[in-house]
Amino acid sequence: MNNNRYKILFVEDEENIKALVGALLESNGYQVVFANSFETGKTMYYSHIPDLVILDLGLPDKDGSALLQRIRERDLTPVIVLSARNTEGEKVRLLDMGANDYITKPFGSSELLARVRSSLRDYRNTHQSENARGIFRVAGLEIRYDSRRVFLEKEEIRLTQTEYNILAYLSEHTGKVMTYSAIIKAVWREGPCESNIKRLQVNMANIRKKLGFFPGGVSYIVNELGVGYRMKDALE
Amino acid sequence: MLRRHRLLKNVLLTVLVMLAAFAVCLVLQDVGIGEQVTALFVFAVFLISLFTDGYWYGLLASAVGILAVNFVFTFPYFAFNFTIVENLLSALAMLIISLFTSMLTTRLKRWEVIRKEGELEIMRANLLRAVSHDIRTPLTTIYGASSAMLENYGGLSDVQKEKLLGGIKEDAEWLIRMVENLLSVTKLDGGLRLFKTPTVPEELIESVYAKFQKRYPLQTVHFELPDEMVRVPMDALLIEQVLVNLLENAVQHAKGMTRLDLAVRLEGGKAHFLVFDDGCGVEKERLSDIFKGNISTKEAPSDSKKRNAGIGLSVCASIIKAHNGRIFAKNRKEGGALFGFSLDTEVQSDEQ
Repeated sequence: MNNNRYKILFVEDEENIKALVGALLESNGYQVVFANSFETGKTMYYSHIPDLVILDLGLPDKDGSALLQRIRERDLTPVIVLSARNTEGEKVRLLDMGANDYITKPFGSSELLARVRSSLRDYRNTHQSENARGIFRVAGLEIRYDSRRVFLEKEEIRLTQTEYNILAYLSEHTGKVMTYSAIIKAVWREGPCESNIKRLQVNMANIRKKLGFFPGGVSYIVNELGVGYRMKDALE
Repeated sequence: MLRRHRLLKNVLLTVLVMLAAFAVCLVLQDVGIGEQVTALFVFAVFLISLFTDGYWYGLLASAVGILAVNFVFTFPYFAFNFTIVENLLSALAMLIISLFTSMLTTRLKRWEVIRKEGELEIMRANLLRAVSHDIRTPLTTIYGASSAMLENYGGLSDVQKEKLLGGIKEDAEWLIRMVENLLSVTKLDGGLRLFKTPTVPEELIESVYAKFQKRYPLQTVHFELPDEMVRVPMDALLIEQVLVNLLENAVQHAKGMTRLDLAVRLEGGKAHFLVFDDGCGVEKERLSDIFKGNISTKEAPSDSKKRNAGIGLSVCASIIKAHNGRIFAKNRKEGGALFGFSLDTEVQSDEQ
C-alpha cells in the first residue's frame, strides 16, 4: 500500500454521495477524509492540511462558498466545488472567488476523476515553476515561452501578440476554467466590460481558426459558455 | 418595464395629451366652434385614462381639464366660475368618465394577467402530469435492476450484471435529461427573466456537441458555421438545451438516418439554426402539433420515449418563444426532417 498518496478532503453532508465519491477516490489511489458541515469542514481542513478539497455547496450549516473563502484567506489549496446549481452566474461567482473547478450534479465518475487529476496537476505546475518551464506541451500542441512561438503538429502557427498572450495564459492553467474577467485582467489589465468580452471572443475565434479547431474536430481549447475558457490538459 | 420607465411614460402621455387638447381647443375657439371644448377635454381625459396605469393620471387630467375649461375656455373667460350649472355638469361628466375609464382599463389589465397565468398553469399541470408518468418508467427499471442484482448477486453472470448496470445508467441519463427540461420550464416561469448574453455560435455549437457526444458518442454530426464573426444574444444554457433536444430527437426518431446535420446561417439580421437529417421524416399528421407536446395521458403508455420527445419539443418551443424567435419543423424535399429556429443577431455597434 502506497503511503504517499494525495489526501483529499471531501466536504459533503449527503451519505450516498459520500459513500460513492469516497469509494471512487480511494479505489483510484487517493486518501479521503470526510466532513459533513462547514464547521467540521473547517476543523478537518486545518488539522489535516489536505492536498485538495472537494466542496459541496449545499451544506447544512452554511453555504459551502463560505468555506472556500476561509481557505482562500491564506492558502492556494485547490478546491473543486460541487453544486446542483448550473447557472453561468453561479459558476463565474465561484471561480472568481477562487475555486479551481466547478462540477454540477449529477456528474459521472470519470468526469470527477479527470477534474481531480487536472486540479492537482495545475497546482503542482504553478507551484513548481519559479524556474520557468520553457516549453509547454499537450499532445500535438507546443508553446515555446521564451521565443513566443506556437507549433501544432510540428508546424508553426503565427499568432498576433494578443492571441499569443491569451493562449499562453490558458496554457499556464491547463485543465482549469479561466473566467472572462481573469483572462481580460491578465492580458489587457482591464475589467470585464462588455466590449472587452467581445474583444476576447473575437480573439478566441481567430485563435480557433488559426489552429484549426472546430466542433467535431480536434480542439485543445474548451469553452464554457458564458463563463470562460479552458485549455485541455490531455486529448482524450 | 422598469418603474422609472413606467412613471415617465405615464407622465409624458398625460402632459402631451393635455397640451394637445389645449392647442386644439385654442384653434377651435379661433375658428369659432368654441362650444366643443368640454367634449374635447372629456375625450382627452378618456384617452389618458385608457393608456396610463391606475386612476391617478386620469383624475389629475380631469382636474386640470375642469380648471382649464372653466378658466380659459368658457364664460367668464380667464376667471373661475363654478356657479354656472353647465360648468358644474361638465366638470362632473369629466370626473365620472375618467373614473370609469380608468376602472375599466385597470380591470382589463388584470384580466390579461390572470389569463396568462391561467395558460401557464395549464401548461405546468400538463407537463407535471406527463412527467410524473414518464419518470415512473425509468425508475421502475432502475429499481428493478438494482434490486435484482442485490438479491441474486452470486447467481448472475458477469454479462448479466453488466447488462443490468448498463440499463441503470441509461435510465439515469434519461432522467437527467428530463430534469433538465423541467428546470428550463421553471426558468421560463417568471416570463421573460432569461439570462441573455451575447454568444458566439461556434462556441455554442462546440458546447452542444460536447454534451450530445456524451450520450451518443458514436453519432457523427456535420456542422456548418458562418465565416463571419457574429454574436447572438441568448440564454446560452437554454438554447444549448434546445439544440441538444433537437439532435437527440433525430437520433431517436429518424429511422434510417445516415447523416445528421447542424447548420447556423446568417440572413436578414438573424441567425438561423437548423437541425436536419435524411431519415424517415415526421408523419404529416404530427407536423402541425409537434411543438405542442403529445401530453395527453390517453396516449399509448408504452412509448414513453415518444412522449419524452414530445415534452422536449414543447420545452424547445417555449424557450424559443421566450426569445421572441420562431421555431418550425418540416419534411425535406430530399427526405428527412428539418427542425429550425431563428434568433436576432447582435446589433453591430460602431466600434467594429
